[in-house]
Amino acid sequence: MLKKRAMTVLTAALALSVAAGCSGANSNSNSAGSADSAGGTSGAGKKEKVELSLWLTPQWKGVMDATEDGADYDSFFLYAADKFKKQYDKYDVKVNVQVVAGDQRDELLNVNLNGGTPPDMFFESVFAMGDYVHRGALAPLTDIVDDAARKDIAQGYWDNVTFGKDVYFYPFAHNPGTLAYNADMFRAAGLDSLVGGENEIKTWTLNEYNRILETLKTKLPKDKYPNAYPMALYALNNQGDTWNLAYLRMFGNKFFDDKNNLAVDDADGIKAAEWLKKVYDSGYSNPGAESVSSNDANAMFQNQQLGISFTNAVLYNNAKADMKAGKSPSFDMRLANIPSASGKPLAFTYVVGTALFNTGDKARMEASKDFIKFFSTDPELVKASKNSIPVRSSVASEFASQFPLFTAYDANAANMFSFTGNVAGYSELRQVLYPELQAMYTGEKTPAQAIKDYQSKGNAVLQKARESSVIKP
Amino acid sequence: MIRYNRNVKEGLTGYLFIAPQFLLFLIFVVYPIVEGLRLSLYKVQYRTETFVGFDNYAALFGDPVFFKAVWNTVIFVVAIVLLTVAFSFFVGSAVFDKNAKYVSFIRGSYYIPVMVSMVVMSMVWSFLLNPANGLISYMAREMEMSTVNLLGNKSTVLPVVIFVTFATNVGQAIILYIAAMIGVPKDLFEAAEVDGAGRLHVICHILLPLVKPTTIYITIINIIAVLKIFVVIQLLTGGGPNNASVTLMYYLYNNAFKYNQLGVASAVGVIMFLLTLLLSVPQLKAMFNDK
Repeated sequence: MLKKRAMTVLTAALALSVAAGCSGANSNSNSAGSADSAGGTSGAGKKEKVELSLWLTPQWKGVMDATEDGADYDSFFLYAADKFKKQYDKYDVKVNVQVVAGDQRDELLNVNLNGGTPPDMFFESVFAMGDYVHRGALAPLTDIVDDAARKDIAQGYWDNVTFGKDVYFYPFAHNPGTLAYNADMFRAAGLDSLVGGENEIKTWTLNEYNRILETLKTKLPKDKYPNAYPMALYALNNQGDTWNLAYLRMFGNKFFDDKNNLAVDDADGIKAAEWLKKVYDSGYSNPGAESVSSNDANAMFQNQQLGISFTNAVLYNNAKADMKAGKSPSFDMRLANIPSASGKPLAFTYVVGTALFNTGDKARMEASKDFIKFFSTDPELVKASKNSIPVRSSVASEFASQFPLFTAYDANAANMFSFTGNVAGYSELRQVLYPELQAMYTGEKTPAQAIKDYQSKGNAVLQKARESSVIKP
Repeated sequence: MIRYNRNVKEGLTGYLFIAPQFLLFLIFVVYPIVEGLRLSLYKVQYRTETFVGFDNYAALFGDPVFFKAVWNTVIFVVAIVLLTVAFSFFVGSAVFDKNAKYVSFIRGSYYIPVMVSMVVMSMVWSFLLNPANGLISYMAREMEMSTVNLLGNKSTVLPVVIFVTFATNVGQAIILYIAAMIGVPKDLFEAAEVDGAGRLHVICHILLPLVKPTTIYITIINIIAVLKIFVVIQLLTGGGPNNASVTLMYYLYNNAFKYNQLGVASAVGVIMFLLTLLLSVPQLKAMFNDK
């Protein structure tokens, strides 16, 4: 009897321990970051411990430069966190930095948001994160923006990060999107006259661009550049889709109407889609665009398998650094604008900045805000924005002589178009374009049909997202 | 009353013994199913949930991509399960009575891909099939053939995915078949030999009926596995071209994590659960009847 009772007690204890284990797991579920309230308060002379998480997609390597020893994508934030910790008196802060792949960003964020474990901060291009503002997942940063910052950063950038009345991203740098071309390949094909200056963003007319494609296809020496194609086309997923969106504006289509609905289905939009299809069918691009990603295209360009590809300031600098370090073949890489039928080239820029997630944890949100303000305003740290293009005029002018391309980018600002990344539903809208491009490239749909379907599906997405947005115009 | 109490007391120890496992079962199996059912009736937006009735199901049935996903999943299930059962039975029946070392070699060779992660296998195939710089397209170019893009062609993408999945999973079924065939009593084969039965007769009339429980088991586990086919789609095709290779699981994933439509994704989950149940019940019934 005693044995039986002992067994019963033992079994009950086992069951309880499992239950306790489960409840313990629940109480620790907020793994992204934590505020340890048992750590005491600053009033008692011991600072409260706060653990923050900062995520970013790959931007630049190193603290200030990709040539530093051990330079990696998280180097800057690790350095900034260390500097912040040393001078911060409110909390004992630890910042965990995590680099996430751009094509995994939404998946990771959605999983963590639905599980109640979003990161505290995210450093990323604003257009890719706008949806999280509309969903109420981000907290405003308006109160940490002071007059000095407003003066140093041009109004255009503030407009880019403002949703409704509030600032949701602290702008750090911007990343102009252009084309990159292999000037050596151009020369080898006899296109010397169309090669721009080393520090120039070359503007070609559409006729010149078509000539370049034709010449690269027919005259590029096969022994020197085997398996090389004139330009990059890709539609496997939504990565690098802003260039695809730019191509669709080549014939003058304005893309969005006054109410922020898609207006791509007109004669100009269809003409642009037909141009893309012609480029693909004529063999002026890499084969299999429907199953090639922008990453594949970028790798092909770096391996001299493409004459012209997409790039932005960070990608361009990273590619140059890779060449310098001997990680990829070295060649004469230069910049050009996306041409258009009107002759006025197409250029765009991504404002890159930090967002604060609405975690509901007062201490973590306060410390995160202070950290964001710190690295976005610290005179030493903001200099790292030279790795793309600084949004601060003070930094841009300081480095203007060292980076002549800053002047070229500045001059190119006149050609910028806004791709309206701030509309509700932009992330889901990005998922609509590439299947239609795939259908067009594979011949399943005519360019006109693909454009028509993109517009109708896209507008349905935008309408639905507008209805549930927390940001009211 | 006293007897009832005694029965309860005697049973209590047993119930306490199964309690930990039962608790885990409730938390990790029953709760997600109930929660999935509940979420399929709600619109979820970050911290707010709104009851929308069957709106999520209505949205699903109004989306042509959903039907495409159902159709593709059915094709995958039928093709992969048939191929797996037929091929593994063929390999099993060809080698089960051969030299033990030879049987081990065959078993090991087919089982290696099962041990390799599906992610790694998909990446290797992706490298081979990439139309721009993959090995297959490179060889095609070297042989002066036109561009080969098996993943970008609507009519070839499904066969490629079917082949890749089949090649990765077939080893498991071969192991099970060989084990079952080795277990068939030898005297049956000897009697058949005395009666002058050929190899084909032996396979059709002795092996096939006697390994029926294994066939049913392989069929069920493969149906369930293929219904959830995801990794190979995510890494190899991304559901493309133009949703030509999208499956139910990939559609669910997209809705849950890319479009943040948790309610719609849960509705897909409920439909998949019912579909699996529907397909498995007759098979399970047949298996239990046999026993």
